[in-house]
Amino acid sequence: MASPLLELRNITKRFPGVLANDSVSLKLNKGEIVALLGENGAGKSTLMNVVYGLLSPDGGEVFVDGEPVELKSPRQAIDLGIGMVHQHFMLIEPLTVTENIVLGNEPTTAGVIDIRKARADVVEISERYGLAVDPDAKIIDLPVGAQQRVEILKALYRGARILILDEPTAVLTPQEVKELFGVVRQLVTEGLAVVLITHKLEEVMASSDRVVVMRDGKVVGETKPSDTDMSGLARMMVGREVVFRIEKKPTVCGDTVLNVRNLKVLDDRHLEAVKGMTFDICAGEIVAIAGVSGNGQTQLIEALTGLRKVEEGTISFLGNDITHSSARQTIDAGVSHVPEDRHRRGLVLEFDLAENMILGDHRKPPFTKRGIMDPQAIAQITEERVEEYDVRSPSIRIAAANLSGGNQQKLVLAREVGRNPELLVAAQPTRGLDVGAIEFVHSRILAERDSGKGVLLVSLELEEVQSLADRILVVFEGRIVKEFAAGQASDEELGYFMTGGGGTKLTENSDTEGGESNDA
Amino acid sequence: MRNPITSVRLKSVLEQLATPFVSVLLAFAIGSIVIWAVGYDPILAWTSLLKGAFGDARRLGDTMLRATPLIFTGLAVAYGFRAGLFNIGAEGQLFLGGLSAAWLGLLVVDLPRGIGIAIMLVAGALAGAAWAFIPALLKARVGAHEVITTMMFTFIGRYLVSYLVTGPLKAEGQIPQTVKLAPETMIPKFSETFGIDFGRAHWGFVIGIAVCVLMWWILKYTTTGYEARAVGFNQWAAETGGVSVSRTIIKSLCISGALAGLAGVVEVIGVQGRLFDQFSSGFGFTGIAVALLARNNPLGVIAAAILFGALSAGAGTMQLEADVPQKVIFIIQALVIFFVAADQIAKWVLSPFKRKGAENA
Amino acid sequence: MLSDIITPDLFAAAVRIATPLALAAIGGTICERSGIVNIALEGMMLVGAFAGVVGALATGSAWFGVLCAILAGALLALIHAFASINLRTDQVVSGTAINILALGLTGFFMEVIYGHPGTTDSAPRLMPVFNISGPTEGVLGTIWTWINGVFLSFTPIVYIAIFIAIFGQWALFHTRWGLRLRALGEHPRAADTVGISVVRGRYSAVLMSGALGGLAGANLTLEQVGSFTEDMTNGRGFIALAANIFGRWTPGGSYLASLLFGFADALQIKLQLFRDVIKIPSQFFLMLPYVLTVVVLAGVVGRAVAPAAVGKPYEKG
Repeated sequence: MASPLLELRNITKRFPGVLANDSVSLKLNKGEIVALLGENGAGKSTLMNVVYGLLSPDGGEVFVDGEPVELKSPRQAIDLGIGMVHQHFMLIEPLTVTENIVLGNEPTTAGVIDIRKARADVVEISERYGLAVDPDAKIIDLPVGAQQRVEILKALYRGARILILDEPTAVLTPQEVKELFGVVRQLVTEGLAVVLITHKLEEVMASSDRVVVMRDGKVVGETKPSDTDMSGLARMMVGREVVFRIEKKPTVCGDTVLNVRNLKVLDDRHLEAVKGMTFDICAGEIVAIAGVSGNGQTQLIEALTGLRKVEEGTISFLGNDITHSSARQTIDAGVSHVPEDRHRRGLVLEFDLAENMILGDHRKPPFTKRGIMDPQAIAQITEERVEEYDVRSPSIRIAAANLSGGNQQKLVLAREVGRNPELLVAAQPTRGLDVGAIEFVHSRILAERDSGKGVLLVSLELEEVQSLADRILVVFEGRIVKEFAAGQASDEELGYFMTGGGGTKLTENSDTEGGESNDA
Repeated sequence: MRNPITSVRLKSVLEQLATPFVSVLLAFAIGSIVIWAVGYDPILAWTSLLKGAFGDARRLGDTMLRATPLIFTGLAVAYGFRAGLFNIGAEGQLFLGGLSAAWLGLLVVDLPRGIGIAIMLVAGALAGAAWAFIPALLKARVGAHEVITTMMFTFIGRYLVSYLVTGPLKAEGQIPQTVKLAPETMIPKFSETFGIDFGRAHWGFVIGIAVCVLMWWILKYTTTGYEARAVGFNQWAAETGGVSVSRTIIKSLCISGALAGLAGVVEVIGVQGRLFDQFSSGFGFTGIAVALLARNNPLGVIAAAILFGALSAGAGTMQLEADVPQKVIFIIQALVIFFVAADQIAKWVLSPFKRKGAENA
Repeated sequence: MLSDIITPDLFAAAVRIATPLALAAIGGTICERSGIVNIALEGMMLVGAFAGVVGALATGSAWFGVLCAILAGALLALIHAFASINLRTDQVVSGTAINILALGLTGFFMEVIYGHPGTTDSAPRLMPVFNISGPTEGVLGTIWTWINGVFLSFTPIVYIAIFIAIFGQWALFHTRWGLRLRALGEHPRAADTVGISVVRGRYSAVLMSGALGGLAGANLTLEQVGSFTEDMTNGRGFIALAANIFGRWTPGGSYLASLLFGFADALQIKLQLFRDVIKIPSQFFLMLPYVLTVVVLAGVVGRAVAPAAVGKPYEKG
């Protein structure tokens, strides 16, 4: 038998304080899809960054076509036929599709780019692999699905034989996921080999030929989807039994907490991002907004929490008009906000736990009296909440930057829920967390609902939406296009409406081999 | 429980002090190489510098005198940095503070000395804040970078002062300068108070230290300081936490401007007694170096300002005795900033000591 | 009176004054396009101005002076590059240190080399490139005066600056160098993942900006003034940065914005000649370019978008 296309032997990689990869070995053969399964922080991305030459390992060897290779830079990886689609796209927004694809391998004469040849090359491979894109469009104007196609084209343009996809489905609808796996299947039949990094069990079951499971930097098992099932994989991945479904009491819908009427909001580019949304949230109810990233969710949340100007329409909260309230007034009125990006909006990473705990309440007693802060009161309440929300930290005087992602999110939750709000706006509250932290966050959100508070959940994870929501609002291009009660819609149905429904409004996705008509 | 935390704190304070200390040593080491390379004697240069700065009460007084405006400008720049703002134009705000003092000093002559001085300090702070207000407003509203706008306002302020001292506020005589203030409107000198010859050193030095302590307290224990730091670290998180970012930017840059304005007041009513074109020898710019060396800690500013005051006080003696051009002081300043900012170098120098310490522990 | 103010030499002066600003502004453009803020242009210009005079006085060759100026600017930029790229120092702080360093170095070596502070002796200068005599009389004479004055009266670096602006504008958008430079400033990690060396790209950009800053200094001393005076750049480096922003981070735009500042300054100088007619103190005219800079930033920055990654140190992995 021929030697494997790619082989890793005993790869070890240390970061300060963490052993990210502990003697990891892996084989990849021509024509197969290997899923690399593991929780966030299990070391999957580190391993693949080693393969791609972005990180140099502290120990171990890499073989390509049976030959030992040394990967010191992405350049060498590219030359060996390794291509990678990163979880956060490596695309340059103001540049065009063509410029992005040829960057680093530009066709030139004496340093001058032959843009016509570049464009022709892009069109040629995009047609060959059925990955439709507009070569002249700027990345910033493309939907995420199209951006991902550009990423794959980038790798193919460089002659990739080994394609690494890092969490490729995180931002896609179920239909787009299906389409992606169709493309990947076609690529392996043409002789490529694909590594699929994921933490989603369904994807592994549906698409891979072989599964390698990682936990805490080590390979803990290898199997075939046909030889196992979801709970078996979950046990391997987490190291214990995992409960898939959350127990939920039926809702008791109380008074209306939030009332949004015909809301219109602009984005940073002054384009209308929320185009007239109307909905209510009642006390004791979780309303989930489901949608593909970039369909107005961010702007909606920012408008509700006083961070973005409302163009038209009204927001009323417990009967009071808060349409034009500032962030501070909104917090004081009783709206709490778990932001979608805890590093950007959720925490001041340089602040210690106590300083972060009072953010938003820092002008109010008992923390502050007449502009002067009371360090003892702050410390006491911080200690209490840190205890209650299980934030693991050696001291409340440690900068938030030193906490793990899960503990950071618990810190945000401790502050926002600890404030005892009437409405909790939670945006992607479990992004990037491990299973334990996800369970904790979910239980806290449910506890809020059960104690009669309103909850608005915005999530890109359909699983999360399905398991938590009492009502689901599907958004597309700034509008609510469909409403479901809990348990009424399948993932496929949600996905159908998330991409515009009916098949008439699909943008350029529909150009590719009639993707959506296959699903409908 | 308490002890380990206290010792952790003590250790971190020591660590914080170690890097600036090593940075200063490195700066002098490289300065020595430069001096030696062009044919002077570095050891003679530094000893005469030391002598010039601390040799006797008079020279010590000169160091304090020169440190005084730097305490204020260093504090001004440091406060700005804490709010994420680089007030490179402290020099301009200083000019406006000096202008207001030179003008008001003629009006408060009949008031009791303390009240007159207090009025001039407050007015000078307001003048400095006013000079920072437009750059602050532009930063908050349209995002115009304060490094460029405050710098431009420095030039505008200098020309404004130049116009006023050659025109409307000009005293009789050939030299373009304002009317000399009466001695009883000026800040008392140490020599007057203590009967020891401290040269021209005055109580402005003590006022400066008091203001540093006040600003340290404000940053640590008030919502004003908390919000400034929050915006300085992460304006998005601050905004989400209900902090008005634009208001905080305006407030912080104006506070910074006010502190720089005080430097101008103290220079006019402490030393010069009048205003003229060249009354500041770049105190606003040296304040940047002071702030960086102090790592933007108001208490650190005191020590850093004294160091730079000593450099400038000793430079004359150095030139006299070792023949080394005074301008070498700028080179030392620049190197200090470099080594403090690129603290990896200092940490690298310190790393053998650290490892040893860890082994002992 | 208007015809006394609007003369060929007003426009010629505008172009001359714009030249050091434009060279430094284009340096700023290249540097910021690669993702590095360069507020040290002021210092690079100052050191270039000084080194130019030193080189020219030592050898008697103005062109050798220009070479010295370029090298000195690049050498100072090397420090900025090392601090910003390798040590990941705050770029604004590093720039500030370099500005002070430039002040110290020029002042120090002035005394070391020439034995006194202040101003150096006059150095050999670069002379105007063309010296064509044309008609002096009549309409033809007027036309010739304008053409000769506005286009043909300049010293070499003025033409070099115009060439750099045009060539740089083209190169930024049509060459491999330009595409990669833009990629570095927008998303260095993306560039890294396709095998472009962020370190090498940024180093070359910072060095180029230093060389241009040095050349700008050479223009000041070896073409305009003829000697070096301490702190003679007088904030030009900062105005150049504003011009770069106003020119939307493009070489051509930087040049045109510099021309605007040059014109304001030229007008200011011209109007001072009419002090007796226009009763405004000279200081207010002197303020004009600085006020204009603030006005430009106030009006424009809200709409101009800087390269996304500018000022952020890049860390691999």
